[in-house]
Amino acid sequence: MVKPKKKPPARGFYLVLGAIAFVGLVALIYVLTRPTTPAAAITVDPDAPVGEAQAYIMGDTTAPVKILEFADYQCPACANFAVLTEPDVRRRIVEQGLASYHFYDFPLPQHRNSVPASLAAACAADQGRYWDMHDRIFAGQNEWAYARNPKGALRGYAREAGLELGAWEACYDEGRHLGRIQANAALGQRMGVGSTPTFIINGRVITGDQGYDRLRALVDSAAARAGAGAGGAGTAGAAR
Amino acid sequence: MTKRMLIATLALIGLFVAIYLALYKLGMLGELSCSVGSCETVQMSPWAIFLGLPVAVWGVGFYVVTFAVALVGVQERFADARGISIALVALTGWGVLFSAWLTYLELFVIHAICQWCVVSAIIVLGLFVLSVLDLRENGELHRGHWTTEELAS
Repeated sequence: MVKPKKKPPARGFYLVLGAIAFVGLVALIYVLTRPTTPAAAITVDPDAPVGEAQAYIMGDTTAPVKILEFADYQCPACANFAVLTEPDVRRRIVEQGLASYHFYDFPLPQHRNSVPASLAAACAADQGRYWDMHDRIFAGQNEWAYARNPKGALRGYAREAGLELGAWEACYDEGRHLGRIQANAALGQRMGVGSTPTFIINGRVITGDQGYDRLRALVDSAAARAGAGAGGAGTAGAAR
Repeated sequence: MTKRMLIATLALIGLFVAIYLALYKLGMLGELSCSVGSCETVQMSPWAIFLGLPVAVWGVGFYVVTFAVALVGVQERFADARGISIALVALTGWGVLFSAWLTYLELFVIHAICQWCVVSAIIVLGLFVLSVLDLRENGELHRGHWTTEELAS
């Protein structure tokens, strides 16, 4: 048996394809040109009084070296550093008393969820759990960085960190520490920070994600200079 | 509509879904419209990149090729071409495997579902089923002796 020849494509078929292509193109043009809605973005009022810059500090502040970090919670390089290098820095530099560690918020304007993340961490600091929250926020960056509203993920971290959720949420919702975040960013700008992460080690500025060995070399060098009485605590006034 | 027409139609729909996801991944859209699941979690995960390219861009390529092959297959010249049917089964079979792997990652590794990825997976599955049916239609080999009518047809 030979099958009958199939009919040539029906006109209706091309009409269907044309209709789908038309609808698809219109939909794509719509999503490409619609204004973006920063629904849940927390914005900082530029006219609000700027508080005093105040770092989150780890380690002995009388240590000869001060490591300042200006970081943005939504910046991937900052997350890389926080997840891969920072544990070593804490254990082998800070806990050994070689340096104190001072973290400053530096939310970049293009990262709409950075300020909420800084705020979530600052509210954890009220309950003495800043670093737990800091670590969890960076580790989970992919979960909240591009979320329409990051609060759900951030609240989850607060719960995991064992925070008293009611107090944390009240702090977050009222934006209690926005002034501090803004002040930290302003301090960074005054110090010439233009990208994240930026480290300032006894006055020496290093930009970008750093490996442990490089940071350790810089700390040792700064410690040697401090020990030799060559100064180098030029940034101490900024840290608290 | 023949099976190949349905394949071309479905592939065109899938193509727009893939373009939408690719535009997001390439940073040309602010945010994804995602009423079910966590599209952004999935799209920002390390598994949204395959061999250096966003998975959505691979999806665009897949749908373009499938659409083109099916469109060629509906032309009168190729209406009975078995090679087209085999190509469609091979293409969409690969698509099903890839989609199954992505769905596994969503469910058990990323722990988030992206509604557009699910839509695409369903489309790919539909394409595969149609391709297999098309191959069965075009795949019957001639058995037995040729009759003179057949030879003359």
